Amino acid sequence: MTIAESSAVAAELRRARRKRRVASIHWIDALYQVYITGLVSVVVVVLLSGAIGDGKVSPAGIADIEAHGPAAAGLLVAIAVFFGLRSGSRGGPLALERPDVRHVLLSPVDRGVALRGPAWRQLRFLLAASAAVGAAVGQLVVRRLPGNALEWIVFGALFGVTLVGLGYGCALLASGLNVKHWVASLIGGVLVAWSVGDLVGRLPLSPFTVVGHIAVWPLEPDWLAILGVLLGVVLVVLGMRWVSGISLEAAERRTALVGQMRFAVTLQDLRTVLVLRRQLSQEHPRSKPWIRAARRTPKYPVWHRGVRSFARWPFSRIVRALLMATIAGLCMRAVWNGTTPLVVVAGMALWIAALDAAEPLGQEVDHPGRTDTFPLPRGQIFVLHLPILFVISVLVGLLGAAVAVAPVGSSVPVGPGIFVGVMAGILAACGAAISVIQGAPDPVDTLSMVTPEIAGTRTVIRTAMPPAIAILGLMPLLAARASEQGAGDPPPLPAAMNVAIPLLFVVVLVGGYVRFRDEIRTWMAEASEQMSPSKAVERQREERLAAEQREAEALAESKRVAKEAEAGKSASQGAKARQKPKPKPSVSPPPEGVRGGTSAKPIGRKRDQK
Amino acid sequence: MSAQPPALVAKDLTKTYDDLVALQPMSITVPSGQSMALIGHNGSGKSTFLRMVAGLLDASGGEIEIAGFELSDVEARATTSFLPDDPVLYDDLSLREHAEYISKLHGGDGWDDYAESLCVRLGLEERIDDLPSRFSRGLRQKTAIVLALVRPFSLLLVDEPFVGLDQPGKLVLLELLAEVHAEGAATLVATHDPTYVERVDRSIALRDGEVIFDGKASVDEVLHLVGG
Repeated sequence: MTIAESSAVAAELRRARRKRRVASIHWIDALYQVYITGLVSVVVVVLLSGAIGDGKVSPAGIADIEAHGPAAAGLLVAIAVFFGLRSGSRGGPLALERPDVRHVLLSPVDRGVALRGPAWRQLRFLLAASAAVGAAVGQLVVRRLPGNALEWIVFGALFGVTLVGLGYGCALLASGLNVKHWVASLIGGVLVAWSVGDLVGRLPLSPFTVVGHIAVWPLEPDWLAILGVLLGVVLVVLGMRWVSGISLEAAERRTALVGQMRFAVTLQDLRTVLVLRRQLSQEHPRSKPWIRAARRTPKYPVWHRGVRSFARWPFSRIVRALLMATIAGLCMRAVWNGTTPLVVVAGMALWIAALDAAEPLGQEVDHPGRTDTFPLPRGQIFVLHLPILFVISVLVGLLGAAVAVAPVGSSVPVGPGIFVGVMAGILAACGAAISVIQGAPDPVDTLSMVTPEIAGTRTVIRTAMPPAIAILGLMPLLAARASEQGAGDPPPLPAAMNVAIPLLFVVVLVGGYVRFRDEIRTWMAEASEQMSPSKAVERQREERLAAEQREAEALAESKRVAKEAEAGKSASQGAKARQKPKPKPSVSPPPEGVRGGTSAKPIGRKRDQK
Repeated sequence: MSAQPPALVAKDLTKTYDDLVALQPMSITVPSGQSMALIGHNGSGKSTFLRMVAGLLDASGGEIEIAGFELSDVEARATTSFLPDDPVLYDDLSLREHAEYISKLHGGDGWDDYAESLCVRLGLEERIDDLPSRFSRGLRQKTAIVLALVRPFSLLLVDEPFVGLDQPGKLVLLELLAEVHAEGAATLVATHDPTYVERVDRSIALRDGEVIFDGKASVDEVLHLVGG
């Protein structure tokens, strides 16, 4: 089949399917999505505007931006390239439909023709989005930095487009050339490390710093930066050229998982996202554990199960935990030296590591049918999983602390450093436990029917709370730093310990939530049902019907007794005269609100019958 | 006149997943027009082998040639038809549109009498304009059979074909396999049905990714090799 024929067949199908898709669009839903997207965009821009402020940056600040801005922007490009390479090595960046892989890519149609269409569409969207974001950032920056507004907007957009072009081009190339995952990670990691080294002034000029000059062009034009744009174009063109080399195995695995992952993201189901991401990167537990299991029957089976899971951690997960510990440690050092916002990065890094450690707990949550067969309440099983989670997370925290207290340069003192490592590890474990336990939100509950503004706030709280708890674990570090910088009374370690007391209260609360989560949810569901007006009407109706039923039974019983008495009267009138009268059948009082008083005469019966 | 190249040549074909070996180095040649059964326990490597030959799995080592072409060549794809055990279908195309599209992708004319006759034989004539996404498992499997046969091929790879099929459907599929074999196509069928080996020229038994038998087999031999 010629390329022209391939192209015609693929285009024909695309047209037919697009026509059908457009016909099936629910326009009210589409407009609602546009409304939500617009609302979120406005909120983000307003928040960013508030964060950036309107005050002009001092000359010293401008000099600082000129000196470090390109390297910082270059680091962003390096990170985009890193993620692009990794995505490409796993069959990305395209997420094709599974039938396309099976029917189109296995047919004699030219694969380049079949894949370039989706690739261009994806790139077009990413370029438009990145240009819009870049232009918006340029518009915000112009309030504080000197220069022409139009220039900032144009070069902001150009930087966004270049960043996406380089990242996407690398992804396409890695995919088309079937670059191994570890090779992609290594190359990307070296490039990021180079950019970081350049930013802190320890390594020579990174190539991405040259590209980063586009972002600060209005302050300091550098024509060499245009090479970055050209490089992006070249990478995209080469990527499109070799896109046909894609591995169908990786593409098919990706098609199956990416769709599910997107769906899980829309449901804010972090647990599912994590599981799917592991499947996507083929991160499977080791078939041979690092440590062999003891043959004797375990005394504490839940703990034993947690240890066995830990013993099967794949190498990549161990590397990730070490990397997260290192990042947390470096951030702790930076926080100690005055860069307070990095507590967020440190907390997030430890939380990510703790999510890996929460895998045994996650497995229990994933299979409620299994836990229901155990002779223990689910909450009790969940709580029994916490000690192993805490131990592993504290180990990661201590590794981070080791990096923070390492006697190189300006380090955190040993005492507060180790204490912070332990507390941060415990709180990160708490955050991870909540992430895993809370699962996906119920598709139908009371709050799902409220306005998007309220539901959105709830979603933000659900999403932000677990990492926020992990970040709280770094508060002792801030207290110790304040003590060190202040009067030193109390000294740093006791100051850190003082802050830890309320944090321990948080730990107890989290433990309680894990133990009684099912009961809390049941109670909330019942309370919500009680509050529902339609449910109240239904309940009243059921109560009324029950009362009527009881009344009918009592009436039948009294008739029967009267009949028996009538029959017996004629048979043994003399003897019966000596007998005690039978007690009246007891009639239970009707519930309030159904009938008036206790009279046997029905009130409102005719109305009820209507 | 030159002899026809073998329908399939696999040399030292192997597949590993980290520390797990799914298929030991395997070398087989399937002459043009031969019918062959792949038998073995669950996890013995049958599906892995078929998917590698279809191009859906990357081989960890070894080479595959189809009708004298490299697996990555367009000609190899034009020659090979794969009927999987998990039917993969578009949600928004009817059975007729599926068949039309796939036929055209392979240079055919689209929906034709043969496609219609396949649907009739498989009992799908009433469902031709329905969406397969609403079909039951068995009907989806029958749809996949139509799609595998509606296009030209000289090598048919079939993975667990009888899963989900009712008895009439199974009989029709057996007839169709016999017909395509009679028309000169080579067929490779991975199955757990021991009786199928009596219908084919050659059987290969796999155990833990290794070939343990290669030749004409009887039902008793199959039961002995892979158990009842």
